This record gives sequence, C-alpha cells and structure tokens, in this order.
Amino acid sequence: MSVVEAIDLHRTYRTSTGTIRRKWIDVEAVRGVSFAIEKGELFGLLGPNGAGKTTTIKMLITLLIPTSGTAKVLGHDVVKDAREVRKRIGYVFGGERGVYERLSGYDNLRYFAELYGVPPGEQKQRIASLLELVGLTGREQERTEGYSRGMKQRLHVARGLLHDPPVVFLDEPTIGLDPVGARELRATIASLVDAGKTVLLTTHYMFEADALCDRIAVINKGEIVAHGTPAQLKQNVAEGAVVEVEIFGIPEGTVERVRELPGVNAVSVEEREQAQVLIVQTPADIELTHAILGRLDGANVGRVSRREPTLEDAYVALVSSGE
Amino acid sequence: MKALRIMAFGWYFQFKAISRSPFEGLFQIIWPLFFATVAFLMFRAGTDPKTLLYASLGAAVMGMWSATSTTAGGAMQRERWHGTLEALVASPPHFSLILLPITLAMSTIGIYCLVATLLFGRFVFGIDLTVEHKVAFGVSIVGTVLSFGALGFLFAVSFVRFRAAWALGNLFEYPVWLIGGFLVPLVLLPDWVRPISWVLAPTWGMNAIRESALGGTPWPDLALCLALGVAYVTLGVLALDRVLGAARKRATLSLT
Amino acid sequence: MTAARIFAVGGLMSYRALFYWLTPMIYIPSLVVAPIFQILLMAYIGRSAGLASDEFFLVGNAIQYAAVPCLFAMMHLVGGEKFQNTLGAILVSPAPRLPLFFGRAVPVVLNGAFVAAFSLLVGSLILGVEIPGGSIPPLALVILVAAFSCTGLGLINAALALRIRESAVLSNVLFGFLLIFTGANVPLSDLPDWMQTISQWIPFTHAIEAARELVDGASASSVLDLVGRELALGAAYLAAGYLLLRFFENQGRRHATLERS
Repeated sequence: MSVVEAIDLHRTYRTSTGTIRRKWIDVEAVRGVSFAIEKGELFGLLGPNGAGKTTTIKMLITLLIPTSGTAKVLGHDVVKDAREVRKRIGYVFGGERGVYERLSGYDNLRYFAELYGVPPGEQKQRIASLLELVGLTGREQERTEGYSRGMKQRLHVARGLLHDPPVVFLDEPTIGLDPVGARELRATIASLVDAGKTVLLTTHYMFEADALCDRIAVINKGEIVAHGTPAQLKQNVAEGAVVEVEIFGIPEGTVERVRELPGVNAVSVEEREQAQVLIVQTPADIELTHAILGRLDGANVGRVSRREPTLEDAYVALVSSGE
Repeated sequence: MKALRIMAFGWYFQFKAISRSPFEGLFQIIWPLFFATVAFLMFRAGTDPKTLLYASLGAAVMGMWSATSTTAGGAMQRERWHGTLEALVASPPHFSLILLPITLAMSTIGIYCLVATLLFGRFVFGIDLTVEHKVAFGVSIVGTVLSFGALGFLFAVSFVRFRAAWALGNLFEYPVWLIGGFLVPLVLLPDWVRPISWVLAPTWGMNAIRESALGGTPWPDLALCLALGVAYVTLGVLALDRVLGAARKRATLSLT
Repeated sequence: MTAARIFAVGGLMSYRALFYWLTPMIYIPSLVVAPIFQILLMAYIGRSAGLASDEFFLVGNAIQYAAVPCLFAMMHLVGGEKFQNTLGAILVSPAPRLPLFFGRAVPVVLNGAFVAAFSLLVGSLILGVEIPGGSIPPLALVILVAAFSCTGLGLINAALALRIRESAVLSNVLFGFLLIFTGANVPLSDLPDWMQTISQWIPFTHAIEAARELVDGASASSVLDLVGRELALGAAYLAAGYLLLRFFENQGRRHATLERS
C-alpha cells in the first residue's frame, strides 16, 4: 500500500470579478492530479508558481476538500478520516506568519506539542532536540516577533516534526532563506528520509528537486505533465541538443520566429548580466544553428554554443509546452 | 482526561499571548471605566436608595462583558490574520477543544476589568468594598468568566463568515448590559424582555456575584449560569463541524 | 467661485471616501442599532437610579452618540488619505486648502446629524417621549450644529491621529469623555464644579441643553444663544484642527514623516 495516494484530484475555486456587478468565475486550480508515494521516498512536486502545488498539498493535509477525486494517507481518506490523517502527518508551510508573535519560540512549540499529543514526559527532550536540529537552540526563549524570516521558517520545520510523524509534507520550504540556510534545510530534509520518514516536497527550484528527490512529478497548470526519477526526466530530453545564443538586446518577436523553425522543440530566454541568452532545444541529429541565427534579424550576437541538455531544460520544455 | 489537558494548555498559552498586547489590554480596561464613572455619578445624584456598591458591581461586570463581546466574535478572524488558523485546524484535536480555550482566555481578561472597576470605585468614589460571602464571590466570578467564554465561543462560531466580525461583537455590548440587568433590576424591564434575560448566562452570573457580595444566596444563580454556559458550548460544537467543513470547501481558512 | 467648486467637489469625494469603509455590515450595527441601545440603556439606568426623566436621557444620548460617526469618519478621512499616500499630493496641490478640507467635512457633519436624528426619533417612539411638532425644525438645526461642533473636534483628533499610532483608542477615549462631561447622562448641576467648567468648553453641552429645552416646549428664539455658543465652539475647533494639520504637514515635510505606513 502506498503511503500517499492521490487519485484524480480536482479542485475548483470560485472567485468574483468586479465590485458593482459581480461576476462569478470558476478557476480550476487542480485538474486531475494522480500520483502515489511509497514508504521512505522523498517525492518532489515540481512546478512554476500558480501550477497548483500548494492546492494539491493542502488537499492532502486535509485543509481543503477536493472538488472531486480522492486522496489517502496511510490508508485513511483525507476527507472522511481527516482526524486519523492529521495525527500521522506533519506539515511545514513556512512564511512570515503562522506563529504566535507574542509567545516565545519555545512556547509556540509547547502549545503545538500539546495539540499533537506528544507525551508530557517526552516533550522537553523532543523540543530540545528539534531546536538543535533546526539550529534555534539558545533563541527559543525570545518572542517570535523578533525572529528573522529564516528563523520563523526553521521554527515551522521544528513544529512540523514535534510528534515524529511518519509522513511529512513541505511546501516550498527553502523560499526566502539565504543560501546557507537553504542548504542546511535541504540536508535536514534528506536526513528525514534517512530516518525512515516519507516526504512530499513542493518546490519550483529545479536543482533542489534534482538534488533531493527520489522521484519527481512535474505539475503545470493543474496537471501532471511528467513524472519519474530525475534520471528518467533527463532521458526525455537526452536525445536532443541545446543551442545557446548570447544576444545583446533581443529584438521583438524573435522567440516566436525561432520557435517556428521546423525541428525546434522549445525556446526560452534567460537573463544573464549584460545580455540575454536564447536557449533552443532541438533534436540531436539536426543542425539548426545557422537557421536560428538567420532568424535573429541582425541583432548583436555574442557567443554561440551547443551543449547537452540538463534537467533544467527538461523542466522548461515541460512547463512551456502549455503556452 | 486528554481533552481537558489540551484545553488547559490552550487556555494558558492563548491567555499569555493576549495579555501581552499592552495597549489593547490597557484600553480594554479603560473603556468600561467611562461607563462606570457615569453610573457612579448617576446613582450618587439619584434618589433611589440602592447602594453604590450595587453600581460598582454592575459596572464591574459590564467591564467583564465588554472584554468578551468586543473580542470573542473575531476570534477565528484573529487566527486567520496571524496565519495560525490553518495550523490549528490541521491539528488532530476537535476544533472546539482549540477554540473554546481561546474565547475563555479572552473572557479571563475580564477579570482585570472587574478588578480595575472595583478599585476605581473604591479610590475615586470611595465605594466601600465589603463582600459578605467571600468564597462564593470568588467562585461566582470564575463561573461568570467561564459562561462568558462559552457565550463568546458561540459568537466566534456564528460570526466566522463575517469579515467585520468585530462590528457584530460590538453590537452585543449594550444590549447585554441592559438585558442582563447589570445596573437595572429586571423588574423595570418590559415583561416580554424578561424571558430573553433568563436565557442569558450573564444575567445569572451578575446575580450570583451580587448575591454573594450583598449577602444573599448565589448558588442557584450560579448553577443556572453554568448550565447555560454548557448549553452554549453544545450549540457551538454542533455548528462548528458544519462551519469548518464549509470553510474547507470554500478555501477560506487562509487569507490567500 | 473656484473655492465654492472645490468645496463641493471635495465634499463629493469625501462622500465616497466615507462609504468605502462604511459597509452596511458596519454601518447598521454601529450607527443605527448601537445608539438606540445606548439611549435605552441610559434611560433605564436613570429609572433604576431614580434620576431625571426618559426625555433627559433620550436627548442627551442621541446627540452624544453623534460623536461616533463624527470622530471616526473624520479620522478615516484624514488617516485614510495618508494610508493611500495621497495626502502628500493634496497638500502640495495648488488648490486653496480651506475650501478643500471643509468641503470634505460636510458629509461627515450630515452623516452625524442623521445618526443623531434617527436615534432620537426611534428612541422617542420606544420610550413614549413626545416631541412637540413645532420643535422639530429648530431641533434639526440644533442637531446639525451639534454634529458640526463635534466634527471640528474630529478634525483635531484626526490631525493628532497622524502622529499617534493607536488613534482608534484616542477616539474612544474622547467618546467616553463626552459621555461624562456633556451632561448627557448626569444633570450639570450634579457634577462637581471643575467638571462643570470643562463642560462649557466641549462639543454637545450647549446643544444638548438647547435640545432638551426645545423638547420641553421652549421657543426657538429662547435657545438661540446656546446654539450660537455651540456654533462658535465648533468653528474654533475646526480652525484649531486645520492649523494643527498644517503644523504637522510642515513638520512632516521637515522630518520626512508625512507618509507613515
């Protein structure tokens, strides 16, 4: 039995536009998402902002009721058996809010330790070791209103692990953290899996998913567009090539013109310091460099190179194919 | 019992968080003192032989009610603003075990108001504070706080869908002061109002406090006060499941 | 000519600024239901204390409660502009300040007068207090002047609110102050001397006295000097508030604290 099962999850939001004559429109944020996570896996849900990651994870942790479809965690239905699910999962959402500002970090943890039924005899020990794990030892007696954003984030992580849950959900946990903090947090997440927990991580950082996850599902516009191990995803683009053209001041319409070229799989633009880089994915056996340069309308061109694709390119190809 | 433990700790931490807002806290105490001053001046200038202690007790409980009515209705909204509502809903205990301690913490602040008003009456208006049955007095105050918290819980559950929940809460300040008979004997109110007074726990809490201070029998009043409190909590719990289910369907647990 | 137009347009803008925050959800409980309950509450406490008459408390509290719309609306007006960061733009505009600001105050006064008049009417029906028909026009004028006077205080309050963070508390304190010192609930003669002195210099005291006399059947001309005094007080408050605002504006320009978020 899979630890986490999502079966054709749908979630529609109803929003209104206008103030005088309100129009109600339905927005389908999640459109038929299905996946399964096995015990001890670090599963990544990867996608750009607005893809439906947070909505999906909220359904799994019982905060949102799916419009249709079902989900189960450790065999318990997230809608019918919400209480049983809540006892067995920890979740880390992060962000500036979500803590009691006038209480100390320690009190925040004590409160939730009580709510999660951590046995009184173990609370002190558990809290102390969690503070150690997230690097907040020594700061726990201060009121959280004085915590930096990163500290609050780390407090959220500690809180999510208080009751030693077998399944942990993390929603973009490294956002807003400085590089060192982010790296430490990733190491912590990896250690959770080493300890036998099952983890679902959402992120829009490609390299983070690549580095941490055993399996990844790429989600875009509410649908899963690919899933597999990082190696498998790279395979999808492995047969191709990538042409990179450095341009100083990309003219209008260039991207569209290049995309029209027969054989081109995906085109994207990356900003780098002084110039923009046009990244074109093509099949490996076709030489398109000259054709591409021909579509550049006499723009100022710098370096031109050809290379092997990376997972980043696979991701870009997947999420831009919907446009 | 695990449930009691969760509520006790919930009350403790929420009370700690609320009582640490210095300015809000101070204002909660000062606001009822204006009405207390008016009441003292009126009773002093008036012809009725009621003691000023009567006025002092009434004004003190008015303050207690203010502390609850102006805050309890917005309890869920407050948690939403802090970003903690989701975390609370996602935790295992039934949400009533989490929300009731919050409104109880709010009504506990009312004790500060009670003490401030009594002291104010003592030192500014020279109102003597002799209490006949001291133990009953203390117990009545605690019972009143509990029932106010219960009523606040019912408000909190009922006002969840209203963004201006605070405005609704304020709506119940004056009416309860009047109909609860804090400064007005119930016999002076129109007959048809009387039954409404009877189903309000504040009416009985006030009676209990007054009886214990002025030398009467507070226990029946206290019992009725607590019984009504239990009724409010029961109603609230029944409504809560529906309210939360709707919030999870309509995605209104967070601000975003 | 331009001044009058600015006055009118400013007034219209203020109306919209006033109502964007005053949804019916807030308006009805706070400005329609609450004043009626305050009247009932105080009238019954009066009966309980054996003090004065229902009419005494009806008039006193109907007028005193106008402090809520006047104080809070003025504060939202001035404070709201700060919040929307347009205060700086208005203050540097070439339009003459006086008509602009006073134009914005008109809806506040009208709204305050309406709240008082409505609660007076409903309260009189519930308590069975008779208001002589001939008194109604002068009563309306007295209520208008009362609202004007408190709006003046509201401008001072609003100017101070630019500096103080907890401005809602200040407004509530002023409300409580007016509850006690205006004779709304305690006959002035029963107040200690020092309180009586203060009462002569604050909004509402004279208007409440005039209104009570009118409801008792006095002629309009007999309350004229009370009304005059209330009017003068209101004008003085308005002027003081305006000067305070300009003072803070200048200060703000010097210390770059004009737009505090």
